[in-house]
Amino acid sequence: MAAAGGLRRAGWRLWRGRAVVKCQHCPPARALQASAALRRAPDEHKKEPLTSSSQQHFDSPPAGHQPEQEPRGTHHSYTGQGGQESEDYESEEQLQHRILTAALEFVPEHGWTAEAIAEGAKTLGLSVAAAGMFHSDGSELILHFVSECNTKLSKLLEKEQKLVQLGEAEKKPIDEFLRDAVEARLRMLIPYIEKWPQALSVLLLPRNIPSSLSLLTSMIDDIWHYAGDQSTDFNWYTRRAVLTGIYNTTELVMMQDSSPGFEDTWRFLGNRVADAMTMSNTASQVQSTGEAVVQGLMGAAVTDPPLEKSRTLFSIHTMLSGLGYFPLLMFGLSLEQIHCTDEREDLDGF
Amino acid sequence: MAAGLSLSLWLWRSRCRALLSRPAGAVRAHRGLAAGPEMHFGFQSVTEEERREKIYQVFENVAKKYDVMNDSMTLGIHRVWKDILMHKMNPCPGTLLLDVAGGTGDIAFRFINYVRSVRQRQLQRKLKHHQNLSWQEIFDSYQKDQFNSLGDSQVVVCDINREMLKVGKQKAQHLGYSEGLSWVLGNAEELPFDDDKFDVYTIAFGIRNVTRIDLALQEAYRVLKPGGRFLCLEFSHVSNPLLSRLYDLYSFQVIPVLGEVIAGDWRSYQYLVESIRQFPPQEELKAMIEDAGFFKVDYENLNFGIVAIHSGFKL
Repeated sequence: MAAAGGLRRAGWRLWRGRAVVKCQHCPPARALQASAALRRAPDEHKKEPLTSSSQQHFDSPPAGHQPEQEPRGTHHSYTGQGGQESEDYESEEQLQHRILTAALEFVPEHGWTAEAIAEGAKTLGLSVAAAGMFHSDGSELILHFVSECNTKLSKLLEKEQKLVQLGEAEKKPIDEFLRDAVEARLRMLIPYIEKWPQALSVLLLPRNIPSSLSLLTSMIDDIWHYAGDQSTDFNWYTRRAVLTGIYNTTELVMMQDSSPGFEDTWRFLGNRVADAMTMSNTASQVQSTGEAVVQGLMGAAVTDPPLEKSRTLFSIHTMLSGLGYFPLLMFGLSLEQIHCTDEREDLDGF
Repeated sequence: MAAGLSLSLWLWRSRCRALLSRPAGAVRAHRGLAAGPEMHFGFQSVTEEERREKIYQVFENVAKKYDVMNDSMTLGIHRVWKDILMHKMNPCPGTLLLDVAGGTGDIAFRFINYVRSVRQRQLQRKLKHHQNLSWQEIFDSYQKDQFNSLGDSQVVVCDINREMLKVGKQKAQHLGYSEGLSWVLGNAEELPFDDDKFDVYTIAFGIRNVTRIDLALQEAYRVLKPGGRFLCLEFSHVSNPLLSRLYDLYSFQVIPVLGEVIAGDWRSYQYLVESIRQFPPQEELKAMIEDAGFFKVDYENLNFGIVAIHSGFKL
C-alpha cells in the first residue's frame, strides 16, 4: 500500500521533472560570446570573434548542462580545450531568462506581447529584434513569470518552515496554512492584474497546456508538501484536486474583484478553505447517518404496521426518503475514503 | 525561331543531363565557399572575377522585367513567401532594417507597410487610454504622433547592381513610398556601413548570387547590433523525391522558356535555375551561419523546401 503510494508519488515527480528539465533534451547550448553590450567583456574576446566561436563549440558540450543547474543570471567560467579560460559566458537560456525578466516591467503597459519583450531587450542593451527569439504571442513570457512566482512561493514556504523548526514561530493549523499560501501566491499577480486575463487565455492555448498544467500541479504539490502532507493513498490525489479547485476559483474571483485590497477575494478564499475542511468533517457524519437510514429501512420491512394502507404508505415513504438519501449515502461512502484512518496522520480534521 | 529555340533547349537540356551525371564530389566542390579560383556559375565553372561579372550582367539584363518574371515563374507565390518572411520578422516601430540584394524593394515596401500598421494599432491603444486627459493634451500628443507614422523605423536597401536599384527607386516613387527609405549601392561581401548599426538584416533571394557566402555572413554579423537578427529567404533543397522531380521538371523545362518569352533572355533564367541547384541545402547553410557567429540558428521550410527561411541572432 505504502509502496504503491510511493511509486505513484515518484511517478508524479518524474512527470513534473520531465517538463522542468526538458531543456536538457534540446541541442546543447553553445556558450555565448559576451558582447560589449551584454557584459563588460575583456577586449581579447571581441577581437577574435571567429576563431573563438569555433572553439566554443568544443567548450559547450561538456559544460552545456551546467548552466541549467546554476542559479539564474550568474557568471561562471569554465576552461575549454586548449586551456582557454572563458569568463563572462552565459548560455542562450540564461540570456533569454534575463530578457524575459527585464520584459516583465513593461507588461502593465504593453501587455503580454512581443512588444514588452522588445522593450525588455532594449533595457539590456540588445536590439529590439531579439524579441524574435520568442513566440509572438508572449507565451514564453507568461510561463517564465508563472515559474518565477512558483519559485518565490517555494522559497517563502521554506523560510516559514525553517522558522517553525527553529521554534521561532508556531505551526499554523492546516486551513490557515493553505489560506496563507494561496493568498501569498495570488498577491504576486497584483502588479499585473489588469493584463492577467489575457495571460490566462494564452496559457489555455493547446500549445501551452502541458507546460502551464505542470507548473500549476508542481505549485500545488509544493504547498501540500510544506503543509506536511504525507499521505500515500487516494487521499493524495483528492487533496491536490481540492486545492487546485480552490486556487483556480479564487484566481478567477480575483480577476473580477474591485474591492479595496482585494478583500472580497481573500474572504472568498477563506470560505472555500473552510468549506473543504467541513466537507471532510461531514463525511463521517454522513456515513453514520447513512447507516442509520439503512437500518431504518430494514426495520420498516420487518415491522408489522396495524393497517394495510398505512403499511403501504409507510413503506413508500421510507422508500422515497431512502431514495433521497441514496445519493447522499453514496457521496458519504466515497467521502469516507477521504477521511483517512491512517494512524500516522497528524493532520486534524482533513 | 521556334526551331532555333527548340534546338537550343535540346542542347542545354542534354548539357544539364551530362553535368548532372558528374560525380558528386566535383559538384560539391562548386558550392558556396571558394575552393581556389574555380567557382560555379550555374553549372559552368568560372573564376571568382568572372562569376561576379557574369552575375552583374544577368541582373542588369533582367532588372526591368524582374518583378514580372518573379510573378510568372512562381505563379505569384513569391509574394506569399515575402509576406511570411515579414510576419516572421514581426518588426516593431523603431526597427532599423538593412535589406541586402533587395534591388527592387519588395521586402522594404512590405516592411514599411507592416510597421505602419503596427504603429496605427499602437496609437489607437494610446488614444483609448487617453480618456482622462484634457483636450489640449490629447491634441498635443496626436500632433506629435501624427508626424511619426513610422515610429522612427527605417529601411536601407543595398544592392550591388545599379540597374536593380534604379528600378526599385522608380517603383517606390510610383507606389508612393517616400519616408523611411534609403537606397545604397554596395557589395554584400563588403558592406559600406559601420559596425553594430542595424536591428535586422535580410537577404531575400540574393545570397545565392553572392560569390563568397562566408564573407557575406561575416559582414552581416558585423553590421548587426547585439541582439540583432539575420534573416535569409532563399530557394533551397526539396527532400521529397516526387516533388523534387516535378520541381526539377518545372525549373528546367518551363522557366527558361518563360524567360525567353517574357524577358527575351533564356540564358539568365537558365543561370537562375542552375544556381538554385548549386546552392547549399538547408543544414549546410545553417552550419555556415553558425560559423559566422550567429546563435539560435533555425530554418523554416516553405512549400516543402522549395524555399527556406533561415534565421539567426547576434548574441
